Amino acid sequence: MFPKNLFNLNDLSPSAIEEIMSRAAYYKKRKNEVFSLLKGKNIVLSFWEPSTRTRVSFEMAVQKLGGRVINYSPDTSSEKKGENLKDTLNTLVALGADAVVFRHRSPGFLNLISRMVDIPFISGGEGCYQHPTQALLDLFTLRDRGVKLSEIKVIMVGDILHSRVARSHFYALSVFGAGLTLVAPPVLLPVELVPDSVSWSYVLDDVLPDGDVIYLLRVQQERQGKGLLPSLAEYSALYGINEKRISLLKKGALLMHPGPVNIGIEISRGAVEFLQRNYPQRILFQEQALNGVFVRMAVLDLLLGGK
Amino acid sequence: MDLLLKGGILYDPENGWEGPAEVLIRGSRIEAVSLTLGPVDVPALDLQGKIILPGMVDMHVHLREPGYEGKETIATGCAAAVAGGITAVACMPNTDPPVDNKEIICYIKERSRQADLARVYPIGAITRNIDGKEIAPMWEMAQEGARGFSDDGNPVTDSGVMLRAMQYALNLGLPVISHCEDLSLAAGGVVHAGAHGYRLGLPVITSASEAVMVAREILLQKEVKGKLHLAHLSAKESVELLRWAKSTGTNVTAEVTPHHLLLTEEAVGDFNTNVKMNPPLRTSTDKEALQKALAEGVIGVIATDHAPHSLLDKEEDFLSAPFGVIGLETALPLLWTKLVGEGLLSPGEFVDRFSSAPARLLGIPGGSLEPGSPADLVVIDPHTEHIVSSERFYSLGRNTPFEGWRLKGYPVMTMVDGDIKMWQGKVKGFSKDFPAIKRILQAKE
Repeated sequence: MFPKNLFNLNDLSPSAIEEIMSRAAYYKKRKNEVFSLLKGKNIVLSFWEPSTRTRVSFEMAVQKLGGRVINYSPDTSSEKKGENLKDTLNTLVALGADAVVFRHRSPGFLNLISRMVDIPFISGGEGCYQHPTQALLDLFTLRDRGVKLSEIKVIMVGDILHSRVARSHFYALSVFGAGLTLVAPPVLLPVELVPDSVSWSYVLDDVLPDGDVIYLLRVQQERQGKGLLPSLAEYSALYGINEKRISLLKKGALLMHPGPVNIGIEISRGAVEFLQRNYPQRILFQEQALNGVFVRMAVLDLLLGGK
Repeated sequence: MDLLLKGGILYDPENGWEGPAEVLIRGSRIEAVSLTLGPVDVPALDLQGKIILPGMVDMHVHLREPGYEGKETIATGCAAAVAGGITAVACMPNTDPPVDNKEIICYIKERSRQADLARVYPIGAITRNIDGKEIAPMWEMAQEGARGFSDDGNPVTDSGVMLRAMQYALNLGLPVISHCEDLSLAAGGVVHAGAHGYRLGLPVITSASEAVMVAREILLQKEVKGKLHLAHLSAKESVELLRWAKSTGTNVTAEVTPHHLLLTEEAVGDFNTNVKMNPPLRTSTDKEALQKALAEGVIGVIATDHAPHSLLDKEEDFLSAPFGVIGLETALPLLWTKLVGEGLLSPGEFVDRFSSAPARLLGIPGGSLEPGSPADLVVIDPHTEHIVSSERFYSLGRNTPFEGWRLKGYPVMTMVDGDIKMWQGKVKGFSKDFPAIKRILQAKE
């Protein structure tokens, strides 16, 4: 039921995702317990791109399952060639690595290295390709809130072109029948990317009132550098959530963000403060981060447990 | 070698022949072609059930030597060519050092003489160092045997430089071959700007990045009126521009590769680096437009863009792996099976596009078995099916996107200049058990 590796969320069947959800709920209920499922197992965390919450979240998940974390951050200059990396991976396996959680900037990198050594690889985010555990924890967070996914519409706003989270959500949200509308400036929203089941718009104010969930994506300046946007201020004026747009939101609409949030770009400080003051339960950012630990415990459990 | 080929079917449109024929070879030349030649004093080879074609002429090949002998050498590339029924290749100048002077032309000619397999015609660089800045010494290179000019792999970005190069080549009567790509539009891309590429999260190459340069070259050609050839077209927009150019009397030719004729962007699958090439595979609409243009002769030439890389070169993530796929050993059976076999091209049209037309364009021997012409030919077996297996290639490259395909029409004999270079998959000088002619004749009796 569960694949050996997890790079592409589409490799998980709906029932496999369902099982991850219920396992994550189990771990959340017992959040103060420590388990021994990964006792004696060494899980390598290898993050080749900056990451705080994903890495820490995986690290906590491994520890709560009783496993040992080995951090391996490459000296990038000596790891440029695939062949060197193969040696390094073989060394890690010889030293007792049982699985690797990997983050890399290049789409397809995990596909490459998973053919080099015979242990499971789990994506911690892979360039603009996919970020499967992020989509899973988002699903979990909504369901944990009692949201009926088949009845909601998600408005995803931001840098769709460079978003691995969006690409994982094309499948994740569709599995449970949630509607999805993508919103971005045209340069960040190539229509060829949009699957048939997903709708899109260039104008946020047109679709904002329909959203049960507003999912904000970070503007990824580090992946741009191509002059795609004239200025962040202009982006923010057109696509940022500000106090005026708060008034357009559907009653009870929830706000999500994979983090880290650029306050003042995706959402204005005024809007955050207004929501925190009046509707703190409608901002799910921290809850997403917290649930990330339980969902990653479930993923590690179901992919690696018993092996 | 003196030899009579009998019992086979010959397709030689340039010589007006389509049907059963006996072909008499004396020394290095074709002496006669006829339905029956009557008794002759030379040994005969029975080719019952086989098809005889003029040898294929591949005008777009990367032989990698000098400089990248780990990827391919002139000898291994030529072995791959004759194994694939290709008797002449034109090799691209992006070697190290690049082919931008007569000494390198001489070196390539000398190395191909030593290899003694396929004929090799060097393509000289348009600009020194292939950097798009200063025109290379074209006349000197032409004197030593360059048959055309290209900065293939790199576009000539500066329109003024391209215009002057086309004007300069006018004097030499040789084609300028353009790799059409606007780098500012291709911007680091590795796959087509379609659904599949975008889903993989890879940077994309739009069709316009090719088509805007196709448009530029056509407009320059309208002023220069020389010989312009457009390499490896991939986009339907380029085809539309080419149609317009031809309908307005512009002298322009173009080529298409087997992979662009047969594959679409989905072939990249989950980041298969053996399906990474430039220009990239595009959509089924593009593929169909290319097939149609080839059938109508708007695109007049098939060329492989054979671009070998070592296993290690391709054993990288998709972004880092080099562009290029190989084609010499698969092109003939592939297109015989998929284009001729499915009625998209007649056998005669196929021979024209992959033999006669490129030979005419480069002004080289081949492309026909007219009496008096060099005996460059290939015999194919249209009935037996083989599975493409890169392990068995003579090329040092294994980077084929067609691994595992089942094909018919594999060559069983390749002859260059009256000499058998390949017999039933064995290449002269490469296979230890390459048979003597006596054995070949006995085997068939």
